[in-house]
Amino acid sequence: MASNKKEEKPKEKPKRRSAGQWAVAWRRFQRNKAGVFGLIIVMAVFFVGIFGSFFAPYPARPDTGAYAPFYEKPSQVRKPPSWLDPEQPNKWKYLFGTTPIGTDVFSDVIHGTKYTIYVGLVVTIITMALSIVVGAIAGFYGRWVDNLLMRTAEVFLVFPSLLFILVFVRIFTLTVGEPFWTIPIVNVQIPAGLTIVILILALFNWASNARMIRGEFLRVRELEFIEAERALGASNIRIIFRHILPNLLSSVIVVSTLTIAYAILLEAAVSFLGFGDVNTITWGQILQENFSEMRTVWWAEIFPGIAILLTVFGFNLLGDGLSDALNPRLRE
Amino acid sequence: MIPVFLGISIISFFVMYAAGDPLNIIRIGRPTITQETIDALRRYYGLDKPIPIQYLTWLTNLLQLNFGKSLYGGRPVNFLIGSWLWETAKLQLISILLAFAISIPIGINSAKKQYSKQDVAVTSISLFGVSMPTFWLGLILIIIFSFQLGWLPSAGAHGAPYLWFNDPILDELAHLIMPVTVLVYVMLAQNIRLIRANMLEILRSDYILAARASGLSERKVIYKYALRNAIGPVITYLGISLGMIIAGAPMTEYVFNWPGLGRRYVDAAMRLDFPVVMGITMIITVMTLIANLIIDIAYVYIDPRIRLR
Amino acid sequence: MTETTLNIEGLKTYFFTEAGIVKAVDGISFNLKKGESLGLVGESGSGKTVTALSVLRIVPKPGRIIDGKVEFNGDDLFKKTEKEMRRIRGSEIAIIFQDPSSSLNPVYNVETQLRDVIIAHQNIPKKEARKKLIELLETVELPDAETRMREYPHQFSGGMKQRVAIARALALEPTLLFADEPTTNLDVTIQAQVLDLLNDLKKRFGMSLVMITHDMGIIAKMTTRVVVLYAGRVCEIAKTYDLFERPRHPYTEALLAAVPRLDRRKTLRVIPGNIPNLIEPPTGCRFHPRCNYATQTCKEDIPVLEEIEPEHFVACHEWRNISLKGERSH
Repeated sequence: MASNKKEEKPKEKPKRRSAGQWAVAWRRFQRNKAGVFGLIIVMAVFFVGIFGSFFAPYPARPDTGAYAPFYEKPSQVRKPPSWLDPEQPNKWKYLFGTTPIGTDVFSDVIHGTKYTIYVGLVVTIITMALSIVVGAIAGFYGRWVDNLLMRTAEVFLVFPSLLFILVFVRIFTLTVGEPFWTIPIVNVQIPAGLTIVILILALFNWASNARMIRGEFLRVRELEFIEAERALGASNIRIIFRHILPNLLSSVIVVSTLTIAYAILLEAAVSFLGFGDVNTITWGQILQENFSEMRTVWWAEIFPGIAILLTVFGFNLLGDGLSDALNPRLRE
Repeated sequence: MIPVFLGISIISFFVMYAAGDPLNIIRIGRPTITQETIDALRRYYGLDKPIPIQYLTWLTNLLQLNFGKSLYGGRPVNFLIGSWLWETAKLQLISILLAFAISIPIGINSAKKQYSKQDVAVTSISLFGVSMPTFWLGLILIIIFSFQLGWLPSAGAHGAPYLWFNDPILDELAHLIMPVTVLVYVMLAQNIRLIRANMLEILRSDYILAARASGLSERKVIYKYALRNAIGPVITYLGISLGMIIAGAPMTEYVFNWPGLGRRYVDAAMRLDFPVVMGITMIITVMTLIANLIIDIAYVYIDPRIRLR
Repeated sequence: MTETTLNIEGLKTYFFTEAGIVKAVDGISFNLKKGESLGLVGESGSGKTVTALSVLRIVPKPGRIIDGKVEFNGDDLFKKTEKEMRRIRGSEIAIIFQDPSSSLNPVYNVETQLRDVIIAHQNIPKKEARKKLIELLETVELPDAETRMREYPHQFSGGMKQRVAIARALALEPTLLFADEPTTNLDVTIQAQVLDLLNDLKKRFGMSLVMITHDMGIIAKMTTRVVVLYAGRVCEIAKTYDLFERPRHPYTEALLAAVPRLDRRKTLRVIPGNIPNLIEPPTGCRFHPRCNYATQTCKEDIPVLEEIEPEHFVACHEWRNISLKGERSH
């Protein structure tokens, strides 16, 4: 067949745009204003978490003995936020007011940010790792393996998880003596109580994600190109790692984001009820400490709550935005 | 269902032994306790028998609705649960009713008018609601309406120290408003997101286009043709919520010091009052399993594709 | 002079998406005479379905009809209220969709869905409706109509589902029927049956038919006149025979040549290039990037439909200068 007399190129495009899957998704994400807003919030939270100690007005509390007042004079307790306080000349002094034990709520919130990130990330990593392993094994091997794993997951799902979390946390917290554990090789100190909370949160969270991943796994497994790979002689391991798992990646990303949000909320709840680590001042912990004095020290309850709200909101927005960008359902 | 039930019962039971001898744990919680008391307690609660026997005894008792006695005060657990149950159920049932009644029309409307100002407002508020720590909303309400404005009581379910508005019914209502608002808001947010997302997807399907092309009225298209396809996840959520009636909302009950199961559970968990903890847990489990069963049956009714298997 | 059932002039329907404005239908004009079988042919994305949806005014969001005029039996459809349109939909103008699995509601049985269509337009008691439905299903050759109407769509095979969809469209004996690729999703053996059924029903009910398809074989079998669409615009309109014998638009020629045939030994000819991007469509004649005969004018000016022979319209700058091969001369 004779080719065209004219050039075969379509009309001029202004610039070469990469058509890779991730580039397309990233462009789509950028158009989603809400998602971008969420991303900004999340980045801000990370920034404060990592660098917060440098610009917080007041130092963090000492590692143990959270109830030791150590700020200025006793006259500084129970101060309202300075911008509301007629008696306070410096309107920036105590942005969120002070607590009955004399700590600055604003600084506490800033110092607590790193715990928020710690909780969010570690719970999610452990949960997702467990979920992926279980989901993949169940999805891939099927039959009785699948059945067994999914039944186990079902048991965990039927639990009223918050209730069990509370009891487990309480038991383990009581039996653990020291406030810190040291990770052997890297010699890093992690707060023991909080880590217990994290482990238990992960324990009760893997089930639902595992089910989702198994579902996705099954869906991808049935795609034809897998059959083609098998016909070409690829081994099982290779198929799992090189072909199936990457297709799961977008769901995993979205679900991880939402899991982070969920973990942060859950930790706040656990701490608020008094089951958290008394030595680590997470945002939920601040709420717990001041609950009884809420009538007079309301600022200590409101502002950390706003921090939690904003952070979780940010992660949820981000998750929604990623979901839209990676899995467009709209036939536009 | 039964294996799941047994599985949970085993796990619940072994929670007690999770970190060692439960009596040691109680000792940590109450450092002043003497060794004699501990030994006496051990015999009284049958903790000196081998573990499997303890489990079986516990399980048989459980099935006869005998949950044992509380470790703090010794009153029979089923009696305690009974008295707390009503308060929680009251709170939950009203909230669930309100939440579902309001959320369905709103969710549908939001999907109908996607991207309109109304829709954007609704979706933002719902996302907010889902991101909010539930207890925090309670805190805010208390601070504003109880402490600052003094309009509503800040805690409890019934007048303390006096009957609000001098009327027993108004008193109950006054105490109910804030906790119900909190619960409703959270359920509302979750529900609206579900309905809206589902409706949006369904409204893009061919059979909806075909229904419109046949001249059906908009009302019929949405409420008869679209809704039935979209309602699935809502029913699931309804079922779960009903199953959780007893689990209640420990957070909300704690914040409002509501004398219901949730609050008492938190106390029991804190004190490691195992009979109470396990009793409540098993009841919740059973209710959840029943709820799941009901959801499954409902699904068969809604979606005829599931019927013939 | 036969009446014109449907007259479309300058129809423009755009979709306002996040990625840009998709100009799905960008100036389409043609008409349909009473009792005629008109083919509407083109690739995916040529605007065939959107045209039908625009006539019925059920273009889904984010689509909107921007411009144009549609007259049905002399009535301007764009001047009608939504209520009036609803009365027309299903009872005077009907449409059959491509995939019967998705165009029937999975949660209601056949009887309910068909009855809903009837009672949306007529107020008749249940018993009477039932009788009507059984008759209707028998007309579309659905076996065991009375018992099977209580079943659900997923319990039917593809061909039968499509018959149900046809029954739904014809329940109120419309005068104009759009058939949007009704056999594309069906087995080849069933295709012929369904097409024959359509022809029968058309004769029996005295309908005018718009056959939307990309399959030239179906055009040959079912239609007497054809409209060829490309990228939202009309390329050529002609009597079917004339179109096959002497196509005048390069795209038509390419379409004909792309049909695989057993009686020819030539290799299959593919139309080079890609389906145009409807957000930033090619300038001038939209086919020019893929056209063998394109000139500079083709790149700059939009060609207009000219009547070059009686009942034969072409939108091409070069039609005088090119000699195209029809069906027989390949």
